[in-house]
Amino acid sequence: MQWAKHVFGVFLLAITFGCQMASPSPAAIPEPASFAKIIYPEDNPTTEEGLALGKKLFYDPILSADSTVSCSSCHLPALAFSDGRVLSVGINGRIGRRNASGLTNIGYLHQTLFWDGRANDLESQALHPVAAPNEMGGNWPLLISKLRRHTDYLPAFQRAFGLSEARELTPDHVGKALAQFQRSLISSDAKYDRVQLGEATFTEAEKLGHAIFFDLADEPKPEFQDLPTGECAHCHIPPHFTNQQFFNNGLDEARSLEDFKDAGRGAITGSVYDNGTFRTPGLRNVALTAPYMHDGRFATLEEVIAHYNSGGKYAENRNANIYKIGLAPDQAAALVAFLHTLTDRSFVDNPDYRQ
Amino acid sequence: MSFTETNTKMKYLSLLALATILFAFACEDDDDFRDDQNVSTTIEFRAQYDAADLAIQSATYAYPTGAELKTTLFQYYVSDLTLIAADGNEVNLSEIELIRYDDATADNIEERTYDVPSGSYTGLRFGLGVKPDLNATDPNNFAANDPLNENEFWNADARYVFAKIEANADLENDGTFDTGLSYHMGSDALYTTITFSGNFTIDGENDPQIVLSADVLKALSDGTNTFDIANPDQQRIHGGNQAIATEIWGRLASQFELTLR
Repeated sequence: MQWAKHVFGVFLLAITFGCQMASPSPAAIPEPASFAKIIYPEDNPTTEEGLALGKKLFYDPILSADSTVSCSSCHLPALAFSDGRVLSVGINGRIGRRNASGLTNIGYLHQTLFWDGRANDLESQALHPVAAPNEMGGNWPLLISKLRRHTDYLPAFQRAFGLSEARELTPDHVGKALAQFQRSLISSDAKYDRVQLGEATFTEAEKLGHAIFFDLADEPKPEFQDLPTGECAHCHIPPHFTNQQFFNNGLDEARSLEDFKDAGRGAITGSVYDNGTFRTPGLRNVALTAPYMHDGRFATLEEVIAHYNSGGKYAENRNANIYKIGLAPDQAAALVAFLHTLTDRSFVDNPDYRQ
Repeated sequence: MSFTETNTKMKYLSLLALATILFAFACEDDDDFRDDQNVSTTIEFRAQYDAADLAIQSATYAYPTGAELKTTLFQYYVSDLTLIAADGNEVNLSEIELIRYDDATADNIEERTYDVPSGSYTGLRFGLGVKPDLNATDPNNFAANDPLNENEFWNADARYVFAKIEANADLENDGTFDTGLSYHMGSDALYTTITFSGNFTIDGENDPQIVLSADVLKALSDGTNTFDIANPDQQRIHGGNQAIATEIWGRLASQFELTLR
């Protein structure tokens, strides 16, 4: 009977391991040495299965109430994952509250997300648009019900997150998959990067714009002594050209801090002192992400530079680094030329990022 | 199997179970356990304006020239925060900290907590700014959430911003705070080591409250010499433009106070 015991033991082992879901495979996403590494959440490492699922979800209108709007409706790869509209447009043509941000290097921005910072990370950010009436206009219980019964998505979620049963699928898994895809959107091959590596040189206009952007007139080098300082890099700091903080950059006059039409960060924190402040956007691929500002009020980069050149409008919480810069027309044009060096065609054309 | 054989096996099994239980409990974390070697110790970094608690944006402050200020930002780096033990040994608590006050809803205290060996101490020392070897290291060499990746890096030549004071000033006393003041300081030449003497004991029983205070006004004015904020050339200090910063920096570095309560 000894042989029967061995056979039974092997049978038990086979059942035990046979029933376990194969673990997802870690995805190796290369990062440039010039960037501090992406902080991957311990409970959501990027895997081959999660990445593929996130990409599929990103481009699938199934996430919206009437299956007409996907994440990619407002985040188009050709526009560095912005949409070219003043304000984003949701289901049934509903106009959103804010301009859709680009997603270049979004995985490196480990602090808050959205113009008003209402999401703490990519996982939670991805959950917002689904139920927002002016975006995807849906509701999570219905969407999860749909995904649990979906013949493609259910096994994909099971493979990505080791789920054994449909009822284990929650909105968190949708957020995690979308976050994995967004963390893969890495741009480091703009002309600016190649100049840093000594592989390219700026044109005269780009060099002038670079000097103004980075306040090189403050440096002891005589070459730039007479230039105005653009004060851009206080907030738009390389390598991602944002400091991830919130500022009032002088867009609207407010004699009282209660006067702002859009309270921005203040609506989230409840502090009147944060009214009219918005998160500094990253500038990589900025030439592709028009129109600009949280409400898309500026159609071109020239208009943006003209705004900062003017010193902006008064509010007592206007950032102290916003003041009349005194740019000559050629200097303003040079700043725009420099901003174009942040365009990375290999990023927007990357087939891995496209549907 | 005989009864005796079974009984013996049961005895061994019981002993094994007992040993397992003892092992399990011996290895459990004990919330009441106190490490006699290290004591969790908090250092408070307090910000003030003219000896009062600094309030970001919400308070209007008098400036010695007659102007009024609303402070929007005060921050500084601390390198090699170190306690000096009575036996001459030194305990390095932290290589780098960024102490930042920029939130109108927060108080004027930034706390940092460290495990400190119990014992007698005679002083505290830190470097104001980013110490030279760190200042020579680019931010991408640090984790994305490291204090040196808080986007306080100018460029390869100018390096890290050691300290910032930003405010909006009402120079004309017309009720509008429309003159931005932006003082960003930093360079290897400005890096300053600050040492305090004071005897205290850390033993987990009657530990002192350790408070390091910095006063924004004292950095701008020592009562005799006041930084001229009405001069347009002195409303912004940035990047390599550090000659004007020396005056503010010198006062900032000399006005820190250590209080042991």
